Amino acid sequence: MHSLIQLSIVVLLLPLLSFVILIFFNRRLPRRGDFIGVGILGTAFALSAYIFWSVIVQAYDPLFKITWSFTWIDLGIVPGVGPLKINMGIVIDNLTAIMLSMVTLISLLVHIYSTGYMAGDKHYGRYFAYLGIFTFSMLGIVLSDNLFSIYIFWELVGLSSYLLIGFFFEKDSAADAQKKAFLANRVGDIGMWLGILILYSQFHTFNYDEIFGALAAGKFTLSHAWLTAAGILLFMGCVGKSAQFPLHVWLPDAMEGPTPVSALIHAATMVAAGVYFVARIFVLLTPEALHVISFIGAFTAFMAATIAITQNDIKRVLAYSTVSQLGYMVLGLGVGAYSAALFHLVTHAFFKACLFLGSGAIIHAMHHEQDMRWMGGLRKPMPWTFVTFTIATLALAGLPLTSGFMSKDAILAGAIGFAQAEGGGIYYLIPVLGFFSAMLTAFYMGRQIWLVFFGDSRTHLKPAEHHAHGHDAHHGHDDHHGEEHGVHEVSWNMRAPLVVLATLSVFAVYSPDPLDGAKGWFMSMVQTPETVVGQKPLVEHTVLTEANGGNLLLAESVVHTEQQHGTDASPVPAAHGGAEAGHHSSGHTFSDPRQAAIAHGAHEAHNPAIIISSIMVVLGISMAGIVYVFRVIDPDRTAQAIRPLYLFSLNKWYWDEIYDATIIKGSILISKIFAWFDSNIIDGIVNGIAVTVRKFAFANGSFDKYVVDGLVNFTAFFVNTSGALLRKFQTGKVQTYIVLLMIAVCGYFVYYFTQLVY
Amino acid sequence: MLSLIVFLPILAGLVILAVPSSQKQIIRIVSLLAAIVQMVLAVLIWRGYDPSLPGITATAAGIPQGSFQFIERLPWITLDLGGFGPLNIEYFLGVDGISITMVILTALISAIGVLSSWTIQKQVKGYFILYNLLATAMMGCFVALDFFLFYVFWELMLLPMYFLIGIWGGPNREYAAIKFFLYTLFGSVFMLLVMIGLYFSVLDPVTHNHTFSLVAMASQSNYIKDAILGPDNVMWRYIAFIVLFIGFAIKVPMFPFHTWLPDAHVEAPTPISVILAGVLLKLGTYGMMRINFPLFPEVFQASMYVIGVFGAINIIYGAFCALAQQDLKKMVAYSSISHMGYVLLGLAAANSEGMVGALYQMFNHGTITAMLFLLVGVIYDRAHTRQIDKFGGLASYMPVYAALVTVAWFASLGLPGLSGFISEALVFVGAFSSVTTRPIAIVSVLGIVFGAAYLLWSLQRMFLGKRKPDAAYELEAGTDGHEHIHFHDWKGKLDLDARELTMLVPLTVIIIFLGIYPMPVLGMLTTSINKLVEVLSPVVMTALN
Repeated sequence: MHSLIQLSIVVLLLPLLSFVILIFFNRRLPRRGDFIGVGILGTAFALSAYIFWSVIVQAYDPLFKITWSFTWIDLGIVPGVGPLKINMGIVIDNLTAIMLSMVTLISLLVHIYSTGYMAGDKHYGRYFAYLGIFTFSMLGIVLSDNLFSIYIFWELVGLSSYLLIGFFFEKDSAADAQKKAFLANRVGDIGMWLGILILYSQFHTFNYDEIFGALAAGKFTLSHAWLTAAGILLFMGCVGKSAQFPLHVWLPDAMEGPTPVSALIHAATMVAAGVYFVARIFVLLTPEALHVISFIGAFTAFMAATIAITQNDIKRVLAYSTVSQLGYMVLGLGVGAYSAALFHLVTHAFFKACLFLGSGAIIHAMHHEQDMRWMGGLRKPMPWTFVTFTIATLALAGLPLTSGFMSKDAILAGAIGFAQAEGGGIYYLIPVLGFFSAMLTAFYMGRQIWLVFFGDSRTHLKPAEHHAHGHDAHHGHDDHHGEEHGVHEVSWNMRAPLVVLATLSVFAVYSPDPLDGAKGWFMSMVQTPETVVGQKPLVEHTVLTEANGGNLLLAESVVHTEQQHGTDASPVPAAHGGAEAGHHSSGHTFSDPRQAAIAHGAHEAHNPAIIISSIMVVLGISMAGIVYVFRVIDPDRTAQAIRPLYLFSLNKWYWDEIYDATIIKGSILISKIFAWFDSNIIDGIVNGIAVTVRKFAFANGSFDKYVVDGLVNFTAFFVNTSGALLRKFQTGKVQTYIVLLMIAVCGYFVYYFTQLVY
Repeated sequence: MLSLIVFLPILAGLVILAVPSSQKQIIRIVSLLAAIVQMVLAVLIWRGYDPSLPGITATAAGIPQGSFQFIERLPWITLDLGGFGPLNIEYFLGVDGISITMVILTALISAIGVLSSWTIQKQVKGYFILYNLLATAMMGCFVALDFFLFYVFWELMLLPMYFLIGIWGGPNREYAAIKFFLYTLFGSVFMLLVMIGLYFSVLDPVTHNHTFSLVAMASQSNYIKDAILGPDNVMWRYIAFIVLFIGFAIKVPMFPFHTWLPDAHVEAPTPISVILAGVLLKLGTYGMMRINFPLFPEVFQASMYVIGVFGAINIIYGAFCALAQQDLKKMVAYSSISHMGYVLLGLAAANSEGMVGALYQMFNHGTITAMLFLLVGVIYDRAHTRQIDKFGGLASYMPVYAALVTVAWFASLGLPGLSGFISEALVFVGAFSSVTTRPIAIVSVLGIVFGAAYLLWSLQRMFLGKRKPDAAYELEAGTDGHEHIHFHDWKGKLDLDARELTMLVPLTVIIIFLGIYPMPVLGMLTTSINKLVEVLSPVVMTALN
């Protein structure tokens, strides 16, 4: 076993250890064992950082990959298939190494931050245990080398998300939100599961490399539509987990959880797992599936941004912003801007975690006030929070010199390249929605910064009835009650994570050129892989319709990586066909004509994308400035003027109401009908049969009683009565006998004479 | 060995017969000892079992050496019937991978049922005698290899079950007991006819006499060509298959023969519900795997689709009915119907993944549902109600109970890491891989969502939020500043007591362990299942090889 594999197993299991220790023993440990959680995550991060260093810095090889697997389920010699085993395994490549470090780092920071934020909560120890099992499951997703194990960890993060959203389970809203999150995710999961089943039924394996190899070798016997369906169904898992339309409704409600959890799970890591998963299966997505993905992503990015501009809850704005940014990532994958999408995943994780933790600091300092309308002027009492929050905001809005600028620009450039390669038309909608959403993003973040940090405090303006709405109000911050109205900066353990995360939102971490992320290490190390499915001919590449030559080359390269599959795997040398073109925008040239065209287009579109997106961002920020800083336009009067649109946005496009009226009410109605059917029709029939049988039995019994028994009894009765009658004659008196004799003799004579007469 | 494990409970019953009925504790301890010894024996059998031998059927030359294991075979009833020839009924026991899984499950659930019976106060002596009789009959069914012997054990189960529900049950117990009894009897009457038909159609390959041996019957070469159920008599073979299937389907229970189950569960005392859901339901699907399918493989092939459809109906219909229930125990009963649907679906797939999944699901459903019913019993003991809406906020007051409920509920909804997931996943993998059942599998995945829906909803209504205004318990301020709750006339511990933990913790451990590492169970059964698949679908074999 490769030493990095061993290390990664340790990293994977450490948070599980934290969970086990804390769930059973937290009450017996000093400080409820929070130092164990922090210490374990610190160790895990240190080991991940070492893996990162070995893989990214030392090896510096775009095709680095080591795998290891073991037999988990052995089904023996299966008739018709032969020996069948289900393996579990670990894959470490550049993406894994980056994700490993990112997840453990943010988890560590959230652990540290929570020691301040959650202090005094009555389930403080349990909280850290839940963070442990979440981190374990998330690392499992990152390290999985096959569809089965990613599905397992996928559901386990769903469980930890469920537990953490409902951490304040005594509140009905939290209990509702956790259930909603789990069920919405399950809907996505069944799609993902069906996608997995399609692939398994063809290849009898769950392993990525084996599936890709078999696909490249053309062993998929079902039609192309099934393959597209598999891709879209697998993507459904992402739709659930990454809160894409139409399953996005759970994520804003998930803000019922503690704010550090929102930062870790519902902004930085778990929701990004969907994007990560789509990246893992990227090579098997057919062009048709990719089109669906890109449109869903673009629509989600746009829709969520339009909702974010009217929300008043500081966390809800960030939640919709997360949905919107996840839409960008999905869009990026859909258009084939693979490395850009993953780049955005990482940059977004850091700046959004920073924003959530910053908002947590604000909520904490404001005594659980979450409504931005009653904030204001916080830049003075909370300078650290203000500076870090602003840096992260700029990154989210996508201003130059930030990480978010580089990654978002790369996605949008990819979208332009995609629209051109697909022949324009409707496909231009995707970059257009992308750019428009960029403007909206700048607007709502400008609004948020202004409402929260600038102007004067508006706490006193809050109407009395709003006081009951503090969202995190349930954990006991008794220590704050003495200083009711003093807003002050948070303690160091909450401040330090903000600083770290804000630092990671600066361009220099990723690329030496603030205008081009492709020149940085990330996009060099995470390159778009070659597709393994049959290509649709492009307008200008009609000759290469089936692209058999390309596929053959490809099959070889996949076989090449497969050889590394095993226990003594070593780093793959960079001997791939076209991989030496290191600093091209997409890393290397593609044998697939469609991918090549998109990559070329994206490269060409780099500068236009920078210019357009910068204009959009400036437009958005200026609009926010016009409305909220200079108050040229009054936001309330504008809202009145466009009231239907305003309400449409404020009420989140009414998706919750629509789902409630159709799916939820419908399901409950069906369940009631079925239950009625069960107890009335089916049981009615059963009981009816029983009654019929009983009636028959009674009739039968009556027949038995009155006819059969009647006959018997009648015989007895007859004998009895006749006996009794006859007995009357047996009086024992001679006189009676003589009388009877005389009567008989007389009778005889009467009879005799009548015979004579006639 | 097998005779011992089968008849040990009845021996305990005889001992109890000699104990005066006032000595309740002795009666309980005798039963518990018997159950523990039975479990030890099950472990010994498991240790001594060679998983590389398939079982299922015999070759033309009789039972190959070591195919079935722990065989005990004696002539039992031998009569000369003149023109009909000799009647040979054997005392024939043995296990293969399918039955050993069920033997272990039965031993485990029986022992837990004894612990759960500890609180029974009414006519303890009679209760435990019947209970031990039931334990013997169940175990006997799983190890009998002679159809006649199987039938005797099968009928023997009815009697104690009828009285256990009818005497120790809830308010409507007589209705439930008679419904259970008649339903099952209805199924077994036809089984008797088919059994006799089979007897006259099959010859023992060694002695060339008619035989009730299931091993001989599982090999099509032993059938007389023109006998009533011989290969030539297609129509009668179909009829026999269908009536036999209905007989077993009632036990599963399969829609539309399922309505006895919710009634029986609601009325039965907790330990009997545990036995009923944990073991008895498995007899239906076990009977299909042991008798119904391998004896009529060609009819099975023709009806895979129909069986799969019924499986899907069970899954989805059961889940929706569970969603509508107000009584927690009834909800769990309908969840059983839903989960047994997965077993049917896996069997209908007729490939190794599906059948392994089905058998593993039988095991896992046994442990998980036993746990669910025990947990329902815990709250019923305290609150004397099971209405879901009469609770609320219990997680705050009974944290250990809430934690175990969460584990059990999530196991039931198929969370990965817990055993139910692996079996359901294998069922789906198998059902989807079979072209016949693929569309059914696609529809059945809805069960995953609605299964989660009713379980999470009930979890929320009972355990999360705050106490409901009309809850079955009172709030009171504790001395330590926290609020506590109080159930009327409940003197015991508020949260789980030691006895309850003794029942629940082992099940929890098994559920988690088998969810992470399923091979201890799967390793036992895969060879037999692969053999069964070969017997059932020779067509698939030739097509793919």
